[in-house]
Amino acid sequence: MSKDSYLSPFSLATSDVLKEMLDINIDGSETASEGDLFVSQGFIVVVGFTGGWKGRFFLDMSSETAIQMASLLTGDDYDSVGDEDVIMSGAELANIISGNAITDINNSQPGLNIRLTPPSVFAGDGISMFNVRLSSSSALMQTNIGTIKINVAVEGGK
Amino acid sequence: MDVKHINAFVSGLLNVSNMLGINDIKRTGLAKNESLKTDNDVNIIIGLVGDLRGNVVLSLQEATACNIASKMMGGVPVEQFDLMPKSALCEMANMIAGNSVSNLEQAGSLVDITPPTLVNGRNMISMISQVETIIVQFAASEGTIAINISLE
Repeated sequence: MSKDSYLSPFSLATSDVLKEMLDINIDGSETASEGDLFVSQGFIVVVGFTGGWKGRFFLDMSSETAIQMASLLTGDDYDSVGDEDVIMSGAELANIISGNAITDINNSQPGLNIRLTPPSVFAGDGISMFNVRLSSSSALMQTNIGTIKINVAVEGGK
Repeated sequence: MDVKHINAFVSGLLNVSNMLGINDIKRTGLAKNESLKTDNDVNIIIGLVGDLRGNVVLSLQEATACNIASKMMGGVPVEQFDLMPKSALCEMANMIAGNSVSNLEQAGSLVDITPPTLVNGRNMISMISQVETIIVQFAASEGTIAINISLE
């Protein structure tokens, strides 16, 4: 299986969820291959999965984008990415996106039985993510609230 | 959260540390996580799925991580936290999770783990799960290590 076929269910779920929940349109999207090091824009949500596919999903954006996204979700204004609502909004969004993607994959490929871990969120300066021997692919999506990046790595994925 | 689940991870960490030659490691504290801020710039996440669902995060400072990596590689000095110590720390986290999961299995819970992801950065805010997180602290001559356990 190519790396893109791991990524595409997540890309699809991301654009669907952004559109349906937040009315955000993707103005342009490009995919990129990454090595085992992934540099975050400042706010990153990690969701792991096991079963027929073993790996993890990242939802990554800048702190400003995370704050705006939380405002769109809740209708409140926030001034810091450290606000619990901002963190929770990011976690929930990544949870919904990966949930939709995994449901799609499990439905189209019966027997994989992939299951998700709860989301964890990290925000800060100069954040980089590292996986041993897991190469990954990203999709960069341009939106009116900033660049939203997703990244998927699957063990044994080529 | 059940204490026998916490103990599975505590003994997992102690077993693996001893295996790697970190012999003077001691448990120094247990706390509930009250704040989103973390002073530790190295965090390694491993997800748990199965009878238990959640995340376990090994959390430490870069200097401690370098000391441990050096110990794991037979004393070769490690000054920079580059790919080599990062791999070593991921491997250690993987061993701890594997060891803990086999402890859990003996206690009657079947759990599968995700591959480790290492997060490295400054002035970090972290939320490991939307549920309560228990932090168990350890100290060794290499520095202090915390294991954050969050189970749904």
